[in-house]
Amino acid sequence: MSHRGGAVATTALIVLILASARAGAQSVTSETISFAGGRVTLGGDVSATFSCTDSEISTSSVCADDTGFFNYTDYEHSALRMMRIDLTGSVRATNRLSFLVEVRSEDGGRLQPYALYARIRPWLSKPIDFQVGRVPPTFGAFIRSTYASDNLLIGYPLAYQYLMSIRADALPANADELLRMRGRGWLSTFSVGNTAPDRGLPLANAFRWDTGVQVHAAGRLVEGTMAVTTGSLGNPLVHDDNPGKQVAARVVARPLPGLVVGASGAVAPFVTRDAAASAGAANSISNLTQAAFGFDAEYSRDYYLVRMETIVSDWRVPLVQTPSIHLPLRAATILVEGRYKIRPGLYAAARFDHIGFSQISGTTRTAGWEAPVNRVEVGGGYSLLRNLLLKGAYQRDTRPAGRTQKINAIATQAVFWF
Amino acid sequence: MMRRLIGRNGGGLRSSAGLTLAAAAGISWFATATPTPVGAAAATGAIQGRVDIRQVVPATERRPTVTDFGSPRERDLVDRLKSVVYLEAAPRGAFERSEPGRAVMNQRNETFVPHLLAITTGTVVDFPNGDPFYHNVFSLSKVNRFDLGRYPSGKLKSVQFTQPGIVRVFCEIHSHMNAFILVFSHPFFTVTDDSGRYRIDDVPPGVYNVIAWNEGRASEPRGVTVPNAGTTELDFELR
Repeated sequence: MSHRGGAVATTALIVLILASARAGAQSVTSETISFAGGRVTLGGDVSATFSCTDSEISTSSVCADDTGFFNYTDYEHSALRMMRIDLTGSVRATNRLSFLVEVRSEDGGRLQPYALYARIRPWLSKPIDFQVGRVPPTFGAFIRSTYASDNLLIGYPLAYQYLMSIRADALPANADELLRMRGRGWLSTFSVGNTAPDRGLPLANAFRWDTGVQVHAAGRLVEGTMAVTTGSLGNPLVHDDNPGKQVAARVVARPLPGLVVGASGAVAPFVTRDAAASAGAANSISNLTQAAFGFDAEYSRDYYLVRMETIVSDWRVPLVQTPSIHLPLRAATILVEGRYKIRPGLYAAARFDHIGFSQISGTTRTAGWEAPVNRVEVGGGYSLLRNLLLKGAYQRDTRPAGRTQKINAIATQAVFWF
Repeated sequence: MMRRLIGRNGGGLRSSAGLTLAAAAGISWFATATPTPVGAAAATGAIQGRVDIRQVVPATERRPTVTDFGSPRERDLVDRLKSVVYLEAAPRGAFERSEPGRAVMNQRNETFVPHLLAITTGTVVDFPNGDPFYHNVFSLSKVNRFDLGRYPSGKLKSVQFTQPGIVRVFCEIHSHMNAFILVFSHPFFTVTDDSGRYRIDDVPPGVYNVIAWNEGRASEPRGVTVPNAGTTELDFELR
């Protein structure tokens, strides 16, 4: 979204919110829309986000964009400058069968389906569900906080949003090529496979959903989920582009009131057929995998909530030329975030986030195969109404590579949900 | 003596300022009325009748659980048939007679029980958590803004409601949970039973306006004369 477009959208939503607030709480849609006796329910989440950075290379004299592309999402939009509309729907066909859908528009684009699946409960007395179609990501904890109304802050965790240089359809021929792309994940280019510049992949993509079958079973203290899908953690797909499937699993335990502990794992071939063939690795494509393991925990009580999540992911790419890439290519992330409610409707929140990478050796230097990134975000929110939230945040990103190696951003977001 | 008065607005209403929520619903909370005396006020009367709800507000459904891995747990359905019937303007001296008490609004199967509570100012409401998981009761109503934070099963937190008005209560964790607490500065109100019947006792003889309220909808004030030691019948229909 352009600077001006983002400002207009944000202003329009804020005007709507203030007008609604002045009209009184009862005049705003605050409940899920349902009809057909509750069999059909519709929900929504609308957010407008705008930000300014202190970028020294921006051409804007008023309010600079994120010229380091720290906050750009998989959809080539900045999470700090976005108008996002999410509409979700559920149709309960029978007690055993429901259909769920989510359509989304970003920055005024047309609504596109992001989730569409059937949920089947074969035995009504047993809490076991099968989900078939474009299903929610199995891996990780953050997926349930991707909506603006659930996200404590405005930015997203690096693991789920930050674009690294690695791609599924283009491969580095050697370590020098990979090192040259450090800090350029928003538009990386390699010599093997698709040589056109394009965005790289996030470690885990929380915004695009994979296609396949998922099974979930819940007990009193423990629940588990397993899925077989077409894509990989960083590159979910509708139609597969290689012969392998992703297997992902997640276990969640609630040993104490307020404490939720989770562990996740996923492995899948991630390189496309064409890229593997270009690298002469068509026969070993099933070995060109992304494999990840994650651990997360959340504790909440009274007025505070604390979360942490750490993920380690390994990629295996074909070795084409020397200097060879030292495998696996590893990325490790950790985030810690917390929220404290200061008074009814008002809270403060903070997040520390880091992503680091394993070392590889090129012709002239040894360095991480991508540039490590630190992100600190502090801010808060104020609820004008139960479902009208205004957020403000300060975010600092640092990375020892790329044209822009640090930004300080001030962001504001208006969120309406029903 | 039983009288039934339909479509009359009694006089003596003084609207109060600063009660946005109440005003939005067409309700006045502070107003005092000077009842028109019907003979010597030696004994009190009563108003009774039935509230007929023609269009029941459907229970709030969960937001579509698209990001969840499985079906949501079963929950109780909210009874939205109950209404509050109250005098728009209380007789002079009524405020001194109201004695704050204690009430309970439980959290059970992801539902506030009862869904509708009517209390006098000063009443302390207990919010016990009867579910085996966290709840977080809060309200952003202007007259009584509070947030009890997250607390586990078996725990109880309380709020004293000091200002009259409509208080919408929610759970921060379960967005489909909601309830109403109507806080009055006088004691002349009641909640209907399961069949919509109500009875307001101990009303001093006089002329009053009576209002029925259900899920944010309020009837037009209906004038009624309460006789000395008698009962007046008054029915409502809410569309």
